[in-house]
Amino acid sequence: MEISSNGAETQPKFALPVDSEHKATEFRLFSAAAPHMRAFHLSWVSFFACFVSTFAAPPLLPIIRDNLNLTATDIGNAGIASVSGAVFARLAMGTACDLFGPRLASASLILLTAPVVFFTSIASSPVSFLLVRFFTGFSLATFVSTQFWMSSMFSAPVVGTANGVAGGWGNLGGGATQLIMPLVFGLIRDIGAVKFTAWRIAFFIPALFQTLSAFAVLMFGQDLPDGNYKRLQKSGDKQKDKFSRVFYHGITNYRGWILALTYGYCFGVELTIDNIIAEYFYDRFNLKLHTAGIIAASFGLANIISRPGGGILSDVMGKRFGMRGRLWTLWTVQTLGGVFCIILGQVDSLSASVAVMIIFSIFVQAACGLTFGVVPFVSRRSLGVISGMTGGGGNVGAVVTQLIFFKGSKYSKETGITLMGVMIICCSLPLLLIYFPQWGGMFCGPSSAKTATEEDYYMSEWSSDEKDKGLHEASLKFADNSRRERGRSVHSQTLPSNATPPANA
Amino acid sequence: MAARALLLGFILVFACFSDTCFAIIYFSSLQRTLVVTASHPQRLLKAGEDKITVTWGLNQSFPAGTDSAYKTIKVQLCYAPISQVDRAWRKTHDSLSKDKTCQFKIVKTPYTTTNHTSEWTIERDVPTATYFVRAYALDAQDQQVAYGQNTDAKKTTNLFEIQAITGRHVSLDIASVCFSAFSVVALMGFFFAEKRKGGKAQQ
Repeated sequence: MEISSNGAETQPKFALPVDSEHKATEFRLFSAAAPHMRAFHLSWVSFFACFVSTFAAPPLLPIIRDNLNLTATDIGNAGIASVSGAVFARLAMGTACDLFGPRLASASLILLTAPVVFFTSIASSPVSFLLVRFFTGFSLATFVSTQFWMSSMFSAPVVGTANGVAGGWGNLGGGATQLIMPLVFGLIRDIGAVKFTAWRIAFFIPALFQTLSAFAVLMFGQDLPDGNYKRLQKSGDKQKDKFSRVFYHGITNYRGWILALTYGYCFGVELTIDNIIAEYFYDRFNLKLHTAGIIAASFGLANIISRPGGGILSDVMGKRFGMRGRLWTLWTVQTLGGVFCIILGQVDSLSASVAVMIIFSIFVQAACGLTFGVVPFVSRRSLGVISGMTGGGGNVGAVVTQLIFFKGSKYSKETGITLMGVMIICCSLPLLLIYFPQWGGMFCGPSSAKTATEEDYYMSEWSSDEKDKGLHEASLKFADNSRRERGRSVHSQTLPSNATPPANA
Repeated sequence: MAARALLLGFILVFACFSDTCFAIIYFSSLQRTLVVTASHPQRLLKAGEDKITVTWGLNQSFPAGTDSAYKTIKVQLCYAPISQVDRAWRKTHDSLSKDKTCQFKIVKTPYTTTNHTSEWTIERDVPTATYFVRAYALDAQDQQVAYGQNTDAKKTTNLFEIQAITGRHVSLDIASVCFSAFSVVALMGFFFAEKRKGGKAQQ
């Protein structure tokens, strides 16, 4: 079912106010109006389902480790595998979104990874366990399609909020699963199944949920406010871009690499904690499986407000202080997350641990939301690739952190958590180096050179041949709309002009 | 003043009824006064099917009156060192409240001065590992006061292995395969339908 807009002449009607690219300028949470809010709800629910599946194993590990005769090393390896698959999957997803559209890209991935979740029920050894966790982890690449989709549907004033809420409510799955899986397991066991069978049956729940959400995306979603990629490409409204150019402009943008690293130390840390926290509380404080699951869940559940809060905060700071405000807030919040992580590893009592963990989760997840308040502005042509790099970097951070601190029995979990906090603080420093000529960086103001405008920045991604063919039109519109990133005091003096590209740039 | 004393007294009484009042018991402080033997049909046993026969009694070489405090005997299935390697959740701690060596209860009965035998069918949630059997003598407050085990102090002799159930069933396997195939086929179906729609729109 495609909601098709009318022909080029008549202005299509949208339920929300839109800008020149037909992206919504408002974010109305309780609406499901096509295409903007509907895309929002479809994307966060399907991403949520993928998170539930990827982290369905950790809360049941005390049972699974006995059934499959796992050692601590096996568990650590599986945890690393669960987040390493998505490193390249996220990059591939970014490119797929640029080329095929987020709807097809995400639904395909979800339906291709659903079988793996079903096969978790028949895992019978450490190796098979590692394999199912590895392939299930690929589904976390739907994060990129979520952010891409939101960045395509929502305009600059609300893009941070849209990205933050969609990402946060999707990440919620990592927390919800710590509650859902022990509950489902308990239910099935009480009906009469043996422990070692009950956990297997329990895995059907996340698998079915994932499958159904993909169907919904395919049936009710569309790529852009004006329609789906294929149809727009056929009618000439959207130009089909070349993979090599899109990829090139993405990976040569140094800001993408810095954000990839720093995202590894907010989101990567979040993934690591999702993998280790239930077992940490179960083993260290001798809790029941159910109780450890509830505590572990509260970490992921903070996402309901913390990541969206980060996105909203980014938009608020962007409105007042422009891009510089977004960058400063991101660095501050992420560094504070590192401080609380250090404290978490040091506290000894259960109640203090829970309290510190919740504070830590709020800061770390807000940093994730703040990161994706910056990402949409790094590139317009290669938005997918940049989103994919950043998202992939998140998973690299999770892999590296688990490899160094949480594999085998080298460090106790408490020590690992403290050291991870130190690493967060160190790896957030590169944010100081991000600089946009038209908006400035953390320590430098915008360049006063004449060629330092939004148009120059985004047009630099297109060659003059491509501009002659008119392929850059969408980027031009985006450049105009992004002028708000100069901040309130500057923006009010700058009149929005009909941007014409310089003659021979 | 009186109210404060009452409150303090109340807290103390309350504390004594909670677990935290009990003194920490160390395994190394327990005497090995019980003799425990475990017999089983073969060395490799199957969970849910095979039986272990456990016999325990006081070691007669100890003076009479050693067992005056014994009220209950708790016999447990314990992990051998080889099954504890790289598995911190089965670690042996000297402090018994933290000790995770013995996680399965075989039987808990009142103490009798004569030797006691019990037959136990291995439960289906026992994991694959190497085990030995240990019996704790508990006093009236359910605190360990003595122990006995069927292996030596280093836990190297008389060990036996238990093979767990897999937990898998044929019906589960079939359901997994069917649902997986359905997801992939449905995806193909969607692509096909999209292509046909796109073809129609062109005409």
